[in-house]
Amino acid sequence: MGGADAMVSRRLGLIALLALLLAGPALAQTGFELELDRIRRATVFIYQTRSIGDDHVIACVSAGTLISADGLIITNAHGVVAGEQCDGDSLIVALNVDLTEPPIPKYRAEIARADSGLDVALLRITRELDGRLIAQGGLPILPFVNIGDSELVAIDDNLIVAGYPDLGNRPVAIARGTVIAFIAEPVARGPSWFKTRAEIPGTMSGGGAYNSVGELIGIPTSAPLSGPVGAANCRFIDDTNRDGLINSSDSCIPTGDFISTIRPIGLAQSLIRGARLGLDIDLPPNEPGAPPLNPPAVSRLFFAPSLQGDMPATVVGSMPANTRSLYLFFDYDNMTAETVYEMRVTLDGAPNTVFSLPPVRWSGGRRGLWHIGGREQAWANGAYEFTLLINGANAGSQQILVGGGAANTGHFSDIVFGTLDRSGALVGNGLILPLGSIAYARFLYANMSAGTRWSAIWHYAGAEVARTTDTWNADRHGATVISLAPANGLLPGLYRLELYIEGALSATSDFVVAGQQGAPLPDLFRNLRYSSAESPAAARTAQAASSFPASVNALHALFDWQQIAVGTPWTLRWLVDDQAFFQATRPWTRADTGSDFTVSIASPPEGNYRLQLLVNNLLLVEAAATVGIGQLPIDRLAELQGLILSGRVLDAANGSGIPSVTIVLIGEAYAAAEFEWTQEQVVALATSDRNGDFQFDRPLAFETPYSVVIEADGYIPLAADQFLFSADQPYVNITIELVRG
Amino acid sequence: MAFDTGRSPAIQITQRQRWSIALSYLLIAIGLALGLNQRDASLNLSSVYRNVEAGITASYPARWLLDESGDYVFRARDMSHRGYQTLIELRTLPVGPDSAERNILDHLSLQRAQVLVDYTVLGYDTYRLPDETWAISMSYSFVARDSSPFLEGVSSIVNGLDILTLRRGQALIITFRADSSIYRRELETLRWFIQNLEF
Repeated sequence: MGGADAMVSRRLGLIALLALLLAGPALAQTGFELELDRIRRATVFIYQTRSIGDDHVIACVSAGTLISADGLIITNAHGVVAGEQCDGDSLIVALNVDLTEPPIPKYRAEIARADSGLDVALLRITRELDGRLIAQGGLPILPFVNIGDSELVAIDDNLIVAGYPDLGNRPVAIARGTVIAFIAEPVARGPSWFKTRAEIPGTMSGGGAYNSVGELIGIPTSAPLSGPVGAANCRFIDDTNRDGLINSSDSCIPTGDFISTIRPIGLAQSLIRGARLGLDIDLPPNEPGAPPLNPPAVSRLFFAPSLQGDMPATVVGSMPANTRSLYLFFDYDNMTAETVYEMRVTLDGAPNTVFSLPPVRWSGGRRGLWHIGGREQAWANGAYEFTLLINGANAGSQQILVGGGAANTGHFSDIVFGTLDRSGALVGNGLILPLGSIAYARFLYANMSAGTRWSAIWHYAGAEVARTTDTWNADRHGATVISLAPANGLLPGLYRLELYIEGALSATSDFVVAGQQGAPLPDLFRNLRYSSAESPAAARTAQAASSFPASVNALHALFDWQQIAVGTPWTLRWLVDDQAFFQATRPWTRADTGSDFTVSIASPPEGNYRLQLLVNNLLLVEAAATVGIGQLPIDRLAELQGLILSGRVLDAANGSGIPSVTIVLIGEAYAAAEFEWTQEQVVALATSDRNGDFQFDRPLAFETPYSVVIEADGYIPLAADQFLFSADQPYVNITIELVRG
Repeated sequence: MAFDTGRSPAIQITQRQRWSIALSYLLIAIGLALGLNQRDASLNLSSVYRNVEAGITASYPARWLLDESGDYVFRARDMSHRGYQTLIELRTLPVGPDSAERNILDHLSLQRAQVLVDYTVLGYDTYRLPDETWAISMSYSFVARDSSPFLEGVSSIVNGLDILTLRRGQALIITFRADSSIYRRELETLRWFIQNLEF
């Protein structure tokens, strides 16, 4: 490049003549203010819209949060996944262009991953607002927040919640509060909800809840009720029926009531990972397609002081003073992911906001045993009443008295199931039994008096199959074993044991019978293997392998199964590099025994994949396969850190902004004088807008010397070296003055 | 009536001084001419791009930003232009035995219609290359604007021209784009580029 030297000399001469005015009025903000600023910038507003002819109307709205620089958004599922209440067909993303103004629609997005029960969805920005496809890598680097560890959240921790206080007419809002309680459900080992007293409008549902260092730790969530019950929180803003009027005949936008529940971000980690990796899981449909014919219902409400797995340790009618753990159990039926349920708790007749659960989506299956409650929290003395509402209607209630001393009445607890070994000891995993002739149950008893009437009732597939009633003639305290020996042996399916004392339920637990006798676990799933082929059908005849080239089109996992009854809940979990990216728990719907159940991943990135099959949270079988080098590529955009550099280019003569000027930022390896106009020397480019404002499209490294070169028609070229930015200034705004020439 | 014009007495300069003044003007004029010449020479400098693997040698205007990082052989842009930056891009594509030039251009159009605003094909023509062979050309227009959602980007109407020729089992596509207001003027740069292109 012969002309380059002359050009550089010329530029150096100009530099000597010109004064570079690169004033750096860096925003003097504290660390927390900067995090608030980052949070506000990353908070988006989402419209779910429905096409009516050539027009679009808003069906639902949500807040959302950008969690990666390449346009991945986390929000609630209920506002974006098409359903009965939100029946839109496209998603519009409005960004915070000016933090003091309402958001501006900029892009379209698609659902990358969603779990309607968890009420979490991951969206990916894919198109411009006008529908044009955004090429891969064509999206500018967007502001995003870092994800924190929701397991570290403790009671009384401070929270800030970001979202939009109405239907997009006002700028992003921040609400502050504290964590006042945890609510536990079977959906998680830890808390399934955080409760807060922050004043959070319903339209902020889907936004972000942050800890004191500005990390995203949860999603404020409230499911709007439909029908007449939810009419009070539904807004009419569009003439959806095209009758020329906007009134109650039109469809309204559900906004929900004030929010007091936050879904911990930890429950969405596998969804986030799957969406980030763009992994597309092809899992054969396993859920019965037809919706339930009967309305959802709950029954058999009772309380337990603690859990044994997901089962009640025992059943109580009262709790002593200083109670710190209490769960309401109930059977449920005909529930779907669109069912909205709510639990209202009163203490001595007054509403108790701490332990109440406002309307949220149902996160369990269609039928089963559920619990809701909490541990390591103080329950004040008094008479509690727990009322369950399904879709806004009262579905059942139960009362419990907390206070006084511990009851010294007889009770049973800690039921475990298994088989007996030769020495007569109960063996097994406690939750799953293989097919056989006898099922044994061991339980503890305490304070039992001789002569007390007690019963054991065994159920199979929802129907009673055996009952024994007797009078107690053993010790006051200890453990005992009882058994079930059906005439035809144990059939595969769901079983339940209920233990009663004087006609009152004292303990209960469910177990599964499935598979053949195996060691140490029942043999339900077998021959788990991997193959790669054009299609799942071809994979069944393809050679199994455990390592595959990086260019593989699809990775198929296949397994055989035996003696699994329809309706048995099972869990499929995929991991890559030991981190789960997909998990689904479903009732079994196939024949009892079969082969070649196939689950596929399209275009898997390089990594070490592991498929796990579980029943009742018990890992039964797993197998791994390696694609490429067996390690995921580094996701540069997931952990992107750095300086956001923006500014304005001004005409030195009159101070007005100069539009369409390109600012070239050169990396640390080169000085401006060494710039040879090759892209490999360029770190970033920015072009000024009609006001002269510009922003570099990627974060810049801190403490790294950059050089700047500007050449614009009609102005004297400008070049400068040694721009350093410290880590305490993540947002820097500079002014550049150009001299006409 | 007589008036005193108040005329100053004439300043007498020597012949030597006259020559000195004339020489000074001459030196200034020569300096200016040299400066302008240097400026033009500097502005008209060219850079050379060589890609041995692709067998391509091309000259492009100096101070245009050279980029080899995309799905093209190379791309050069005039970064000093305010507005849409004039661009010359060269790419090669494999072609099948049944592929015709129009197939390739139509495929490009389908791709561009997905990502470019108001992409419109204006027409097809032939283009005579320096080696006297004929290539097919496609002219089009679209609207370009800054993609940053946080700025009030200025939109530009862009005119483009693709020149396509099939050589040695592959298609060579020269893409030229410029702001519509300067497109005709900038076409000279394209002609100069093609004149100096070896492939």
